[in-house]
Amino acid sequence: MFLAIKEIKREKLRYGLIILMIFLISYLIFILSSLAVGLASENTQAIESWDAKQVVLNKNANVSMSQSLLTKDDLSKTKLTKNEALLGQTPVVAKNSNRPQVSAQFIGVKKDQFIYDDQELIAGRKAKKDREVVVDQAFQTKGYKLGDKLELNGSANKYRIVGFVKNAKINIAPIIYGSLASWRKLRQGMPNIKASAIISRNANYSYNHANSKTYPIAQFIKKLPGYTAQNMTFQLMIGFLFVISLIIIAVFLYILTMQKMHNFAVMRAQGIPSRTLVAATVSQSVILVVVGVIIGLAAMWLTAKVLPAAVPMSFTPQIILSGTCGMLLTGIIGSLIPVRSILKVDPAKAIGE
Amino acid sequence: MAVIELKNVQKVYGTGAAEVQALKQIDFKANEGKVVLIMGPSGAGKSTFLTIAGSLQKPTSGQVYINGEDIANISAKQSNALRLNQIGFVLQAYNLIPFLTVKEQFELVDHVKKQGNLDQAIMDKLLEQLGIAGLINKYPSELSGGQQQRAAIARALYANPKILLADEPTASLDSKNVDEVGQLFKNLAQNYQKAVILVTHDPRLEKYADHIYEMMDGEMIKKQ
Repeated sequence: MFLAIKEIKREKLRYGLIILMIFLISYLIFILSSLAVGLASENTQAIESWDAKQVVLNKNANVSMSQSLLTKDDLSKTKLTKNEALLGQTPVVAKNSNRPQVSAQFIGVKKDQFIYDDQELIAGRKAKKDREVVVDQAFQTKGYKLGDKLELNGSANKYRIVGFVKNAKINIAPIIYGSLASWRKLRQGMPNIKASAIISRNANYSYNHANSKTYPIAQFIKKLPGYTAQNMTFQLMIGFLFVISLIIIAVFLYILTMQKMHNFAVMRAQGIPSRTLVAATVSQSVILVVVGVIIGLAAMWLTAKVLPAAVPMSFTPQIILSGTCGMLLTGIIGSLIPVRSILKVDPAKAIGE
Repeated sequence: MAVIELKNVQKVYGTGAAEVQALKQIDFKANEGKVVLIMGPSGAGKSTFLTIAGSLQKPTSGQVYINGEDIANISAKQSNALRLNQIGFVLQAYNLIPFLTVKEQFELVDHVKKQGNLDQAIMDKLLEQLGIAGLINKYPSELSGGQQQRAAIARALYANPKILLADEPTASLDSKNVDEVGQLFKNLAQNYQKAVILVTHDPRLEKYADHIYEMMDGEMIKKQ
Protein backbone atom coordinates (compact mmCIF):
# COMPACT_ATOMS: atom_id res chain seq x y z
CA MET A 1 0.00 0.00 0.00
CA PHE A 2 2.90 2.36 0.89
CA LEU A 3 4.45 2.15 -2.57
CA ALA A 4 1.03 2.30 -4.26
CA ILE A 5 -0.05 5.50 -2.50
CA LYS A 6 3.33 7.22 -2.88
CA GLU A 7 3.45 6.52 -6.60
CA ILE A 8 -0.12 7.71 -7.21
CA LYS A 9 0.64 10.90 -5.23
CA ARG A 10 3.80 11.55 -7.25
CA GLU A 11 2.34 10.68 -10.67
CA LYS A 12 -0.96 12.54 -10.32
CA LEU A 13 -1.58 13.17 -14.01
CA ARG A 14 -0.81 9.63 -15.12
CA TYR A 15 -2.98 7.99 -12.47
CA GLY A 16 -5.58 10.77 -12.69
CA LEU A 17 -6.18 9.78 -16.31
CA ILE A 18 -6.67 6.13 -15.35
CA ILE A 19 -9.08 7.18 -12.60
CA LEU A 20 -10.92 9.36 -15.14
CA MET A 21 -11.41 6.35 -17.39
CA ILE A 22 -12.54 4.09 -14.55
CA PHE A 23 -14.95 6.84 -13.44
CA LEU A 24 -16.43 7.16 -16.94
CA ILE A 25 -16.85 3.39 -17.30
CA SER A 26 -18.39 2.95 -13.86
CA TYR A 27 -20.69 5.95 -14.46
CA LEU A 28 -21.84 4.37 -17.72
CA ILE A 29 -22.35 1.01 -15.98
CA PHE A 30 -24.45 2.68 -13.25
CA ILE A 31 -26.52 4.62 -15.83
CA LEU A 32 -27.18 1.56 -18.00
CA SER A 33 -27.93 -0.65 -14.98
CA SER A 34 -30.34 1.96 -13.56
CA LEU A 35 -32.08 2.29 -16.93
CA ALA A 36 -32.26 -1.50 -17.31
CA VAL A 37 -33.75 -1.94 -13.84
CA GLY A 38 -36.04 1.09 -14.30
CA LEU A 39 -37.39 -0.17 -17.62
CA ALA A 40 -37.71 -3.75 -16.39
CA SER A 41 -39.56 -2.46 -13.37
CA GLU A 42 -42.01 -0.50 -15.54
CA ASN A 43 -42.73 -3.73 -17.40
CA THR A 44 -43.50 -5.69 -14.28
CA GLN A 45 -44.39 -3.15 -11.54
CA ALA A 46 -48.03 -4.16 -11.35
CA ILE A 47 -47.28 -7.90 -11.46
CA GLU A 48 -44.84 -7.45 -8.58
CA SER A 49 -47.33 -5.37 -6.62
CA TRP A 50 -49.86 -8.21 -6.99
CA ASP A 51 -47.22 -10.66 -5.73
CA ALA A 52 -48.34 -12.98 -8.54
CA LYS A 53 -46.88 -16.51 -8.69
CA GLN A 54 -49.07 -18.21 -11.32
CA VAL A 55 -51.23 -16.91 -14.12
CA VAL A 56 -54.03 -18.72 -15.96
CA LEU A 57 -54.53 -17.62 -19.57
CA ASN A 58 -56.22 -18.84 -22.71
CA LYS A 59 -53.81 -21.45 -24.06
CA ASN A 60 -54.08 -19.94 -27.57
CA ALA A 61 -53.05 -16.45 -26.42
CA ASN A 62 -49.27 -17.05 -26.72
CA VAL A 63 -48.83 -16.27 -23.01
CA SER A 64 -50.10 -12.72 -23.58
CA MET A 65 -52.65 -11.41 -21.09
CA SER A 66 -53.96 -8.71 -23.42
CA GLN A 67 -54.61 -11.38 -26.08
CA SER A 68 -56.19 -13.81 -23.64
CA LEU A 69 -59.94 -14.23 -23.20
CA LEU A 70 -61.41 -16.77 -20.79
CA THR A 71 -65.07 -17.67 -21.29
CA LYS A 72 -67.70 -18.89 -18.88
CA ASP A 73 -66.99 -22.43 -20.08
CA ASP A 74 -63.20 -22.03 -19.58
CA LEU A 75 -63.75 -20.91 -15.99
CA SER A 76 -66.58 -23.31 -15.15
CA LYS A 77 -64.44 -25.52 -12.88
CA THR A 78 -62.51 -22.79 -11.03
CA LYS A 79 -62.40 -22.64 -7.29
CA LEU A 80 -61.02 -19.23 -6.37
CA THR A 81 -59.62 -18.69 -2.90
CA LYS A 82 -58.46 -15.40 -1.37
CA ASN A 83 -55.16 -15.92 -3.23
CA GLU A 84 -56.75 -15.87 -6.69
CA ALA A 85 -58.23 -12.97 -8.59
CA LEU A 86 -59.96 -12.62 -11.93
CA LEU A 87 -58.57 -9.88 -14.12
CA GLY A 88 -59.45 -8.42 -17.51
CA GLN A 89 -56.86 -6.50 -19.51
CA THR A 90 -57.20 -4.44 -22.65
CA PRO A 91 -55.12 -1.62 -24.16
CA VAL A 92 -56.90 1.73 -24.23
CA VAL A 93 -56.27 5.31 -25.24
CA ALA A 94 -57.50 7.62 -22.50
CA LYS A 95 -58.74 11.05 -23.56
CA ASN A 96 -59.85 14.17 -21.75
CA SER A 97 -60.43 17.41 -23.61
CA ASN A 98 -58.20 19.42 -21.24
CA ARG A 99 -55.40 16.86 -20.82
CA PRO A 100 -52.93 15.01 -23.05
CA GLN A 101 -53.93 11.60 -24.44
CA VAL A 102 -52.43 8.64 -22.60
CA SER A 103 -51.89 5.14 -23.99
CA ALA A 104 -52.71 2.86 -21.09
CA GLN A 105 -53.79 -0.61 -20.08
CA PHE A 106 -57.27 -1.02 -18.62
CA ILE A 107 -57.32 -3.65 -15.90
CA GLY A 108 -60.74 -4.77 -14.74
CA VAL A 109 -60.86 -6.35 -11.26
CA LYS A 110 -63.48 -7.56 -8.79
CA LYS A 111 -64.02 -5.62 -5.58
CA ASP A 112 -63.93 -8.70 -3.38
CA GLN A 113 -60.57 -9.95 -4.64
CA PHE A 114 -56.98 -9.21 -3.60
CA ILE A 115 -55.88 -7.07 -6.56
CA TYR A 116 -58.57 -4.55 -5.64
CA ASP A 117 -57.77 -4.84 -1.93
CA ASP A 118 -54.00 -4.37 -2.39
CA GLN A 119 -54.11 -1.18 -4.50
CA GLU A 120 -51.66 1.31 -2.93
CA LEU A 121 -53.43 4.66 -3.14
CA ILE A 122 -51.40 7.87 -3.07
CA ALA A 123 -54.50 10.06 -3.44
CA GLY A 124 -58.29 9.68 -3.49
CA ARG A 125 -60.12 6.44 -2.88
CA LYS A 126 -60.77 3.10 -4.54
CA ALA A 127 -63.31 2.74 -7.35
CA LYS A 128 -66.70 1.65 -6.01
CA LYS A 129 -68.92 1.98 -9.11
CA ASP A 130 -68.53 0.76 -12.67
CA ARG A 131 -67.89 4.26 -14.03
CA GLU A 132 -65.14 4.99 -11.52
CA VAL A 133 -61.46 4.25 -12.07
CA VAL A 134 -58.22 4.45 -10.15
CA VAL A 135 -55.20 5.31 -12.30
CA ASP A 136 -51.40 5.10 -12.09
CA GLN A 137 -49.50 8.15 -10.81
CA ALA A 138 -48.20 8.69 -14.38
CA PHE A 139 -51.60 10.32 -15.08
CA GLN A 140 -50.98 12.74 -12.20
CA THR A 141 -47.56 13.60 -13.68
CA LYS A 142 -49.31 14.41 -16.97
CA GLY A 143 -51.64 16.84 -15.21
CA TYR A 144 -54.71 14.69 -14.52
CA LYS A 145 -56.63 15.46 -11.34
CA LEU A 146 -59.11 13.61 -9.15
CA GLY A 147 -62.56 14.01 -10.66
CA ASP A 148 -61.33 14.23 -14.26
CA LYS A 149 -63.39 12.17 -16.67
CA LEU A 150 -61.75 9.79 -19.12
CA GLU A 151 -63.04 8.70 -22.51
CA LEU A 152 -61.60 5.24 -23.26
CA ASN A 153 -61.10 4.11 -26.88
CA GLY A 154 -63.63 6.68 -28.05
CA SER A 155 -66.55 5.04 -26.26
CA ALA A 156 -69.53 7.11 -25.21
CA ASN A 157 -69.06 6.12 -21.57
CA LYS A 158 -66.95 8.38 -19.37
CA TYR A 159 -64.96 7.10 -16.40
CA ARG A 160 -64.25 9.36 -13.44
CA ILE A 161 -60.82 9.26 -11.78
CA VAL A 162 -61.39 8.73 -8.05
CA GLY A 163 -57.88 7.75 -7.01
CA PHE A 164 -54.21 7.58 -7.96
CA VAL A 165 -52.13 4.48 -7.23
CA LYS A 166 -48.40 3.86 -7.25
CA ASN A 167 -46.50 0.99 -8.87
CA ALA A 168 -49.22 0.41 -11.42
CA LYS A 169 -47.52 -0.12 -14.75
CA ILE A 170 -47.49 -3.12 -17.02
CA ASN A 171 -45.39 -3.33 -20.18
CA ILE A 172 -44.31 0.29 -19.53
CA ALA A 173 -47.92 1.52 -19.90
CA PRO A 174 -49.78 3.07 -16.94
CA ILE A 175 -52.76 1.09 -15.64
CA ILE A 176 -56.36 2.23 -15.33
CA TYR A 177 -58.01 0.06 -12.68
CA GLY A 178 -61.75 -0.35 -13.16
CA SER A 179 -64.33 -3.06 -12.73
CA LEU A 180 -64.53 -6.33 -14.65
CA ALA A 181 -67.96 -5.23 -15.88
CA SER A 182 -66.39 -2.11 -17.42
CA TRP A 183 -63.70 -4.25 -19.01
CA ARG A 184 -66.37 -6.45 -20.61
CA LYS A 185 -68.00 -3.32 -22.05
CA LEU A 186 -64.67 -2.21 -23.51
CA ARG A 187 -64.35 -5.65 -25.14
CA GLN A 188 -67.88 -5.47 -26.52
CA GLY A 189 -68.72 -7.93 -29.26
CA MET A 190 -67.13 -10.80 -27.35
CA PRO A 191 -69.97 -12.90 -25.93
CA ASN A 192 -69.54 -15.05 -22.85
CA ILE A 193 -66.16 -13.61 -21.83
CA LYS A 194 -65.53 -13.52 -18.12
CA ALA A 195 -61.88 -12.35 -17.78
CA SER A 196 -58.45 -12.30 -19.42
CA ALA A 197 -56.71 -14.20 -16.68
CA ILE A 198 -56.70 -15.62 -13.21
CA ILE A 199 -53.83 -14.26 -11.12
CA SER A 200 -52.73 -16.44 -8.22
CA ARG A 201 -50.42 -15.68 -5.29
CA ASN A 202 -50.11 -19.41 -4.64
CA ALA A 203 -47.01 -20.92 -6.28
CA ASN A 204 -48.73 -24.33 -6.49
CA TYR A 205 -51.95 -23.10 -8.07
CA SER A 206 -52.89 -24.85 -11.29
CA TYR A 207 -56.04 -24.74 -13.42
CA ASN A 208 -56.14 -26.30 -16.86
CA HIS A 209 -59.73 -26.71 -18.03
CA ALA A 210 -61.05 -26.29 -21.59
CA ASN A 211 -58.94 -23.47 -23.11
CA SER A 212 -57.33 -22.47 -19.81
CA LYS A 213 -53.66 -23.05 -19.10
CA THR A 214 -51.55 -22.16 -16.08
CA TYR A 215 -48.15 -20.53 -16.48
CA PRO A 216 -45.50 -19.68 -13.85
CA ILE A 217 -45.13 -15.92 -13.53
CA ALA A 218 -41.45 -16.00 -14.65
CA GLN A 219 -42.51 -17.49 -17.98
CA PHE A 220 -45.28 -14.92 -18.31
CA ILE A 221 -42.88 -12.02 -17.64
CA LYS A 222 -40.35 -13.41 -20.11
CA LYS A 223 -43.02 -13.35 -22.80
CA LEU A 224 -44.02 -9.72 -22.15
CA PRO A 225 -43.53 -7.96 -25.53
CA GLY A 226 -39.93 -6.70 -25.86
CA TYR A 227 -39.05 -7.52 -22.23
CA THR A 228 -36.44 -10.24 -22.84
CA ALA A 229 -34.86 -8.50 -25.85
CA GLN A 230 -34.59 -5.24 -23.90
CA ASN A 231 -33.04 -6.89 -20.85
CA MET A 232 -30.58 -8.91 -22.90
CA THR A 233 -29.48 -5.76 -24.77
CA PHE A 234 -28.76 -4.00 -21.49
CA GLN A 235 -27.01 -7.05 -20.02
CA LEU A 236 -24.85 -7.31 -23.12
CA MET A 237 -23.88 -3.62 -22.93
CA ILE A 238 -23.10 -3.83 -19.20
CA GLY A 239 -21.13 -7.04 -19.72
CA PHE A 240 -19.09 -5.41 -22.48
CA LEU A 241 -18.40 -2.40 -20.24
CA PHE A 242 -17.00 -4.72 -17.56
CA VAL A 243 -14.82 -6.43 -20.18
CA ILE A 244 -13.65 -3.03 -21.48
CA SER A 245 -12.81 -1.88 -17.94
CA LEU A 246 -10.90 -5.12 -17.35
CA ILE A 247 -8.88 -4.57 -20.54
CA ILE A 248 -8.19 -0.91 -19.74
CA ILE A 249 -7.03 -1.65 -16.18
CA ALA A 250 -4.94 -4.64 -17.28
CA VAL A 251 -3.32 -2.81 -20.23
CA PHE A 252 -2.54 0.34 -18.25
CA LEU A 253 -1.11 -1.57 -15.29
CA TYR A 254 0.85 -3.82 -17.62
CA ILE A 255 2.39 -0.83 -19.44
CA LEU A 256 3.14 0.93 -16.14
CA THR A 257 4.66 -2.28 -14.75
CA MET A 258 6.86 -2.72 -17.83
CA GLN A 259 8.06 0.87 -17.40
CA LYS A 260 8.93 0.14 -13.77
CA MET A 261 10.75 -3.15 -14.31
CA HIS A 262 14.12 -1.56 -13.61
CA ASN A 263 12.79 -0.03 -10.38
CA PHE A 264 11.46 -3.44 -9.40
CA ALA A 265 14.86 -5.01 -10.16
CA VAL A 266 16.54 -2.37 -7.95
CA MET A 267 14.10 -3.02 -5.12
CA ARG A 268 14.54 -6.78 -5.47
CA ALA A 269 18.34 -6.26 -5.33
CA GLN A 270 17.81 -4.33 -2.09
CA GLY A 271 16.00 -7.34 -0.67
CA ILE A 272 12.44 -6.00 -1.01
CA PRO A 273 10.37 -9.23 -1.30
CA SER A 274 8.33 -9.91 -4.47
CA ARG A 275 5.14 -10.08 -2.40
CA THR A 276 5.62 -6.42 -1.40
CA LEU A 277 5.84 -5.44 -5.08
CA VAL A 278 2.85 -7.62 -6.02
CA ALA A 279 0.81 -6.20 -3.13
CA ALA A 280 1.75 -2.68 -4.26
CA THR A 281 0.47 -3.38 -7.79
CA VAL A 282 -2.78 -5.02 -6.67
CA SER A 283 -3.48 -2.36 -4.03
CA GLN A 284 -2.70 0.37 -6.58
CA SER A 285 -5.36 -1.12 -8.85
CA VAL A 286 -7.85 -1.33 -5.96
CA ILE A 287 -7.19 2.31 -4.99
CA LEU A 288 -7.68 3.49 -8.60
CA VAL A 289 -10.92 1.50 -8.97
CA VAL A 290 -12.31 2.61 -5.58
CA VAL A 291 -11.61 6.30 -6.30
CA GLY A 292 -13.00 6.01 -9.86
CA VAL A 293 -16.14 4.19 -8.68
CA ILE A 294 -16.76 6.65 -5.82
CA ILE A 295 -16.64 9.55 -8.29
CA GLY A 296 -18.88 7.50 -10.63
CA LEU A 297 -21.39 6.93 -7.81
CA ALA A 298 -21.40 10.63 -6.91
CA ALA A 299 -21.97 11.59 -10.56
CA MET A 300 -24.72 8.97 -10.84
CA TRP A 301 -26.42 10.25 -7.70
CA LEU A 302 -26.39 13.78 -9.12
CA THR A 303 -27.70 12.51 -12.46
CA ALA A 304 -30.55 10.65 -10.76
CA LYS A 305 -31.46 13.88 -8.93
CA VAL A 306 -31.41 16.02 -12.06
CA LEU A 307 -33.16 13.68 -14.54
CA PRO A 308 -36.92 14.18 -14.99
CA ALA A 309 -39.25 11.56 -13.48
CA ALA A 310 -40.29 10.52 -17.01
CA VAL A 311 -36.89 8.83 -17.48
CA PRO A 312 -37.37 5.29 -16.18
CA MET A 313 -34.23 5.17 -14.05
CA SER A 314 -34.00 3.16 -10.86
CA PHE A 315 -30.71 3.68 -8.96
CA THR A 316 -31.01 0.97 -6.32
CA PRO A 317 -28.63 -0.25 -3.55
CA GLN A 318 -28.34 -3.53 -5.48
CA ILE A 319 -26.96 -1.63 -8.49
CA ILE A 320 -24.47 0.25 -6.27
CA LEU A 321 -23.34 -3.01 -4.64
CA SER A 322 -23.12 -5.14 -7.77
CA GLY A 323 -21.54 -2.37 -9.87
CA THR A 324 -18.93 -1.61 -7.20
CA CYS A 325 -18.13 -5.27 -6.58
CA GLY A 326 -17.97 -5.94 -10.33
CA MET A 327 -15.55 -3.07 -10.89
CA LEU A 328 -13.40 -4.11 -7.91
CA LEU A 329 -13.25 -7.65 -9.23
CA THR A 330 -12.22 -6.49 -12.71
CA GLY A 331 -9.60 -4.22 -11.10
CA ILE A 332 -8.11 -7.09 -9.11
CA ILE A 333 -8.17 -9.47 -12.10
CA GLY A 334 -6.63 -6.73 -14.28
CA SER A 335 -3.83 -6.17 -11.78
CA LEU A 336 -2.98 -9.88 -11.67
CA ILE A 337 -1.92 -9.87 -15.33
CA PRO A 338 1.34 -7.88 -14.77
CA VAL A 339 2.00 -9.84 -11.55
CA ARG A 340 3.59 -12.66 -13.56
CA SER A 341 6.15 -10.18 -14.94
CA ILE A 342 6.87 -8.84 -11.45
CA LEU A 343 7.51 -12.33 -10.10
CA LYS A 344 9.98 -12.96 -12.93
CA VAL A 345 12.05 -9.81 -12.28
CA ASP A 346 15.74 -10.67 -12.11
CA PRO A 347 17.40 -8.55 -9.40
CA ALA A 348 20.78 -9.06 -11.11
CA LYS A 349 19.46 -6.78 -13.88
CA ALA A 350 19.91 -3.85 -11.48
CA ILE A 351 23.69 -4.24 -11.71
CA GLY A 352 25.57 -2.55 -14.53
CA GLU A 353 22.61 -0.48 -15.80
CA MET B 1 37.31 -13.64 10.07
CA ALA B 2 36.44 -12.18 6.67
CA VAL B 3 32.95 -10.71 6.38
CA ILE B 4 32.76 -11.90 2.81
CA GLU B 5 34.85 -14.61 1.19
CA LEU B 6 34.72 -16.30 -2.23
CA LYS B 7 36.58 -19.61 -2.77
CA ASN B 8 37.19 -21.18 -6.18
CA VAL B 9 34.13 -19.43 -7.59
CA GLN B 10 33.34 -20.04 -11.23
CA LYS B 11 30.48 -18.67 -13.29
CA VAL B 12 29.68 -20.05 -16.72
CA TYR B 13 26.98 -18.63 -19.01
CA GLY B 14 25.57 -20.66 -21.91
CA THR B 15 26.58 -24.10 -23.12
CA GLY B 16 28.57 -25.63 -25.97
CA ALA B 17 29.86 -23.16 -28.53
CA ALA B 18 28.01 -20.32 -26.77
CA GLU B 19 29.69 -21.04 -23.42
CA VAL B 20 31.30 -18.05 -21.74
CA GLN B 21 33.36 -18.40 -18.59
CA ALA B 22 32.63 -15.10 -16.84
CA LEU B 23 34.50 -15.94 -13.61
CA LYS B 24 37.44 -18.36 -13.35
CA GLN B 25 38.54 -19.80 -9.97
CA ILE B 26 37.98 -16.57 -8.05
CA ASP B 27 39.37 -16.30 -4.53
CA PHE B 28 38.51 -13.14 -2.68
CA LYS B 29 37.98 -11.87 0.84
CA ALA B 30 37.09 -8.57 2.52
CA ASN B 31 37.14 -7.58 6.18
CA GLU B 32 35.23 -5.09 8.29
CA GLY B 33 36.61 -1.55 8.27
CA LYS B 34 38.40 -1.98 4.95
CA VAL B 35 37.84 -0.58 1.47
CA VAL B 36 38.50 -3.10 -1.31
CA LEU B 37 38.76 -1.95 -4.90
CA ILE B 38 38.05 -4.30 -7.78
CA MET B 39 39.34 -2.83 -10.99
CA GLY B 40 39.33 -3.89 -14.58
CA PRO B 41 38.07 -2.97 -18.02
CA SER B 42 34.53 -3.53 -19.30
CA GLY B 43 33.80 -7.23 -19.86
CA ALA B 44 36.39 -8.35 -17.31
CA GLY B 45 33.68 -9.95 -15.12
CA LYS B 46 33.33 -7.20 -12.49
CA SER B 47 29.51 -7.07 -12.67
CA THR B 48 29.23 -10.87 -12.54
CA PHE B 49 31.48 -10.85 -9.47
CA LEU B 50 29.23 -8.22 -7.86
CA THR B 51 26.03 -10.18 -8.53
CA ILE B 52 27.52 -13.35 -6.98
CA ALA B 53 29.07 -11.56 -4.00
CA GLY B 54 25.76 -9.74 -3.51
CA SER B 55 23.70 -12.98 -3.67
CA LEU B 56 21.87 -11.80 -6.77
CA GLN B 57 22.78 -14.97 -8.61
CA LYS B 58 24.42 -18.29 -7.80
CA PRO B 59 27.91 -19.34 -8.88
CA THR B 60 28.31 -22.34 -11.22
CA SER B 61 30.76 -23.80 -8.67
CA GLY B 62 32.69 -22.72 -5.58
CA GLN B 63 31.71 -21.29 -2.21
CA VAL B 64 30.54 -17.82 -1.16
CA TYR B 65 30.70 -17.10 2.58
CA ILE B 66 28.98 -14.19 4.27
CA ASN B 67 29.90 -13.97 7.97
CA GLY B 68 31.21 -17.53 7.72
CA GLU B 69 27.99 -18.98 6.25
CA ASP B 70 28.04 -20.53 2.77
CA ILE B 71 25.37 -18.79 0.71
CA ALA B 72 26.11 -20.43 -2.64
CA ASN B 73 23.03 -22.66 -2.47
CA ILE B 74 20.57 -20.82 -0.23
CA SER B 75 16.91 -20.41 -1.29
CA ALA B 76 15.57 -17.29 -3.03
CA LYS B 77 13.80 -16.28 0.17
CA GLN B 78 16.98 -16.63 2.26
CA SER B 79 18.87 -14.74 -0.40
CA ASN B 80 16.32 -11.95 -0.21
CA ALA B 81 16.64 -11.75 3.57
CA LEU B 82 20.44 -11.75 3.27
CA ARG B 83 20.41 -8.79 0.87
CA LEU B 84 17.96 -6.94 3.09
CA ASN B 85 19.94 -7.47 6.29
CA GLN B 86 23.60 -7.88 5.41
CA ILE B 87 24.32 -6.28 2.06
CA GLY B 88 23.90 -2.70 0.92
CA PHE B 89 24.06 -1.89 -2.78
CA VAL B 90 25.12 1.40 -4.35
CA LEU B 91 24.34 1.03 -8.02
CA GLN B 92 25.90 2.72 -11.01
CA ALA B 93 23.04 5.06 -11.92
CA TYR B 94 22.20 5.58 -8.20
CA ASN B 95 18.84 3.94 -8.91
CA LEU B 96 16.77 5.70 -6.32
CA ILE B 97 13.04 4.96 -6.62
CA PRO B 98 11.83 7.97 -8.65
CA PHE B 99 8.46 8.41 -6.93
CA LEU B 100 9.85 8.35 -3.39
CA THR B 101 11.52 11.24 -1.58
CA VAL B 102 14.91 10.60 0.04
CA LYS B 103 13.16 10.10 3.39
CA GLU B 104 10.62 7.71 1.85
CA GLN B 105 13.44 5.60 0.38
CA PHE B 106 14.36 4.82 4.02
CA GLU B 107 10.71 4.34 5.01
CA LEU B 108 10.40 1.67 2.30
CA VAL B 109 13.11 -0.28 4.11
CA ASP B 110 11.22 0.18 7.40
CA HIS B 111 8.13 -1.38 5.76
CA VAL B 112 9.91 -4.64 4.99
CA LYS B 113 12.56 -4.72 7.73
CA LYS B 114 11.04 -3.74 11.04
CA GLN B 115 14.15 -4.03 13.22
CA GLY B 116 17.88 -3.40 13.07
CA ASN B 117 17.78 -0.30 10.87
CA LEU B 118 19.84 2.76 11.84
CA ASP B 119 18.20 4.81 14.56
CA GLN B 120 17.23 8.42 13.98
CA ALA B 121 20.27 9.97 15.73
CA ILE B 122 22.81 7.92 13.75
CA MET B 123 20.87 8.49 10.54
CA ASP B 124 20.79 12.26 11.12
CA LYS B 125 24.56 12.25 11.72
CA LEU B 126 25.15 10.18 8.62
CA LEU B 127 22.96 12.45 6.47
CA GLU B 128 24.87 15.43 7.90
CA GLN B 129 28.18 13.78 6.98
CA LEU B 130 26.86 13.03 3.53
CA GLY B 131 25.74 16.64 3.14
CA ILE B 132 22.13 15.81 2.30
CA ALA B 133 20.44 16.45 5.66
CA GLY B 134 18.44 19.32 4.16
CA LEU B 135 17.33 17.33 1.12
CA ILE B 136 15.38 14.48 2.69
CA ASN B 137 12.03 15.70 1.38
CA LYS B 138 13.27 16.03 -2.20
CA TYR B 139 12.54 13.58 -5.00
CA PRO B 140 15.52 12.10 -6.90
CA SER B 141 14.70 14.24 -9.96
CA GLU B 142 15.15 17.34 -7.79
CA LEU B 143 18.72 16.34 -6.79
CA SER B 144 22.03 16.73 -8.64
CA GLY B 145 24.05 13.65 -9.63
CA GLY B 146 26.33 13.99 -6.62
CA GLN B 147 23.39 14.42 -4.24
CA GLN B 148 21.67 11.36 -5.71
CA GLN B 149 24.89 9.40 -5.21
CA ARG B 150 24.98 10.40 -1.54
CA ALA B 151 21.29 9.59 -1.10
CA ALA B 152 21.90 6.15 -2.65
CA ILE B 153 24.76 5.56 -0.18
CA ALA B 154 22.55 6.63 2.73
CA ARG B 155 19.81 4.28 1.55
CA ALA B 156 22.28 1.39 1.26
CA LEU B 157 23.54 2.06 4.80
CA TYR B 158 20.10 2.58 6.37
CA ALA B 159 19.45 -1.16 6.82
CA ASN B 160 22.80 -1.28 8.68
CA PRO B 161 24.44 -3.94 6.47
CA LYS B 162 27.89 -5.39 7.17
CA ILE B 163 28.87 -5.20 3.53
CA LEU B 164 28.57 -2.29 1.13
CA LEU B 165 28.83 -3.20 -2.56
CA ALA B 166 29.19 -0.29 -4.97
CA ASP B 167 29.03 -0.60 -8.74
CA GLU B 168 31.00 2.16 -10.54
CA PRO B 169 30.22 4.74 -7.82
CA THR B 170 32.19 7.53 -9.51
CA ALA B 171 31.13 6.86 -13.10
CA SER B 172 29.63 10.29 -13.65
CA LEU B 173 31.52 12.43 -11.15
CA ASP B 174 34.25 15.04 -11.68
CA SER B 175 37.64 14.76 -9.91
CA LYS B 176 36.62 16.88 -6.92
CA ASN B 177 33.54 14.74 -6.35
CA VAL B 178 35.52 11.55 -6.88
CA ASP B 179 37.82 12.57 -4.02
CA GLU B 180 34.85 13.39 -1.80
CA VAL B 181 33.15 10.07 -2.53
CA GLY B 182 36.42 8.12 -2.10
CA GLN B 183 37.02 9.76 1.28
CA LEU B 184 33.41 9.13 2.20
CA PHE B 185 33.72 5.38 1.55
CA LYS B 186 36.97 5.32 3.53
CA ASN B 187 35.29 7.03 6.47
CA LEU B 188 32.25 4.75 6.29
CA ALA B 189 34.45 1.68 6.39
CA GLN B 190 36.45 2.95 9.36
CA ASN B 191 33.77 4.75 11.38
CA TYR B 192 30.91 2.28 10.85
CA GLN B 193 33.00 -0.91 10.51
CA LYS B 194 31.70 -1.87 7.09
CA ALA B 195 33.41 -3.97 4.47
CA VAL B 196 33.26 -1.63 1.46
CA ILE B 197 33.78 -3.26 -1.93
CA LEU B 198 34.00 -0.85 -4.86
CA VAL B 199 33.81 -2.23 -8.40
CA THR B 200 35.27 0.39 -10.72
CA HIS B 201 37.63 1.17 -13.56
CA ASP B 202 38.39 4.58 -12.07
CA PRO B 203 42.08 4.69 -10.91
CA ARG B 204 41.38 7.90 -8.95
CA LEU B 205 39.86 5.74 -6.20
CA GLU B 206 43.04 3.67 -5.68
CA LYS B 207 44.40 5.95 -2.96
CA TYR B 208 41.39 5.28 -0.74
CA ALA B 209 41.62 1.48 -1.00
CA ASP B 210 43.12 -0.85 1.60
CA HIS B 211 43.27 -3.66 -0.95
CA ILE B 212 43.10 -3.68 -4.73
CA TYR B 213 42.13 -6.59 -6.96
CA GLU B 214 42.56 -6.53 -10.72
CA MET B 215 40.14 -8.41 -12.94
CA MET B 216 40.81 -9.47 -16.53
CA ASP B 217 38.94 -12.01 -18.66
CA GLY B 218 37.20 -13.52 -15.62
CA GLU B 219 40.37 -13.91 -13.56
CA MET B 220 41.14 -11.95 -10.40
CA ILE B 221 44.61 -11.03 -9.14
CA LYS B 222 45.35 -9.30 -5.86
CA LYS B 223 47.50 -6.24 -6.58
CA GLN B 224 47.74 -4.71 -3.12
